[in-house]
Amino acid sequence: MSILTDLRIAAVGDIHLGEDGRGHYRRRLEGIEERADVFMLAGDLTRHGTLQEGKVVADELRDLPIPAVAVLGNHDYHSDLQDEIAEELRDAGVIVLDDDGVVLQCGEKKLGVVGGKGFGGGFAGKCASEFGEREIKNFVAHTRHIAEAWKVALKEIVADERVVLSHYSPIKETLEGEPPEIYPFLGSYLLAEAVDTAGADLIFHGHAHKGSAKGMTPGGIRVRNVALPVLGRAYGVYCLECEDGF
Amino acid sequence: MEAPQYVAARVQQALAEDGRTNELGIRVDIRGDQLFLRGQVSEAEQRTRLGQVAHETAPELHVHNEINIVDATEPGEDEHLD
Ligand SMILES: [Fe+2]
Ligand SMILES: [Fe+2]
Repeated sequence: MSILTDLRIAAVGDIHLGEDGRGHYRRRLEGIEERADVFMLAGDLTRHGTLQEGKVVADELRDLPIPAVAVLGNHDYHSDLQDEIAEELRDAGVIVLDDDGVVLQCGEKKLGVVGGKGFGGGFAGKCASEFGEREIKNFVAHTRHIAEAWKVALKEIVADERVVLSHYSPIKETLEGEPPEIYPFLGSYLLAEAVDTAGADLIFHGHAHKGSAKGMTPGGIRVRNVALPVLGRAYGVYCLECEDGF
Repeated sequence: MEAPQYVAARVQQALAEDGRTNELGIRVDIRGDQLFLRGQVSEAEQRTRLGQVAHETAPELHVHNEINIVDATEPGEDEHLD
């Protein structure tokens, strides 16, 4: 007979902590270890991407009782200090993904997490392409490069369950509520295409504060927009049902 | 007189680019001499700052700060994906 064990993932994006947020956020995470096996943060951890804000985030997340995996968001890049912020977070014990992956041992299960900031470009049929001015080509090439890295990382990872963690959205369904005119700045179908090709069980993203919670890639992979304003709570908990062998 | 659309765009740009706010998702509507701010932020201080920046950018308009605070304290219900 098979035994069902759930892998419980707490996830949130866009916590946007400023310097006045020091000490407040941590309280919301009390007891998280009773609700989840791992905590995932989908970017936009700071407001302006300053080092001071990065330190606030690092302190709020320091030495959590469960593993924390994060990616950065566009706000965390605003002051060109993304590498320094990532280092602060790593010093605090947070795993920061930058278009690569990690495997976590959650009880009996191996959970593979692949991801990074992601980027924009729009969605099939209504998207930018690598044509024309250098600026447009660079924009699209940046997303392509990221999608390719995720595909490789997903293919390489050996795990029971695979989750993708992104800031930008891979699909437009979870953007519903945002003005359609800005969809190309909120995500790219290239991200979904890469994940559909390599395979995964679930995708988290943030960034679309006014978007909607649930969607699915064309390949049938579940997508959850965990931006804090969409969740309306400190974090969501998602249980992946894992089936053990017979 | 400047068209209200341009004023609204300028205010929205200021809310995104001003170092005090850097808030991208705020909707700005102008009707006559009334300016409306709508959206969600997580802290009351941020809402106040957004109202302040909007006021400084369009001092001739009366600002209605209708931004909501999402107070995310409870973790809520789990979702089971099978
Ligand atoms: Fe955000
Ligand atoms: Fe963002």
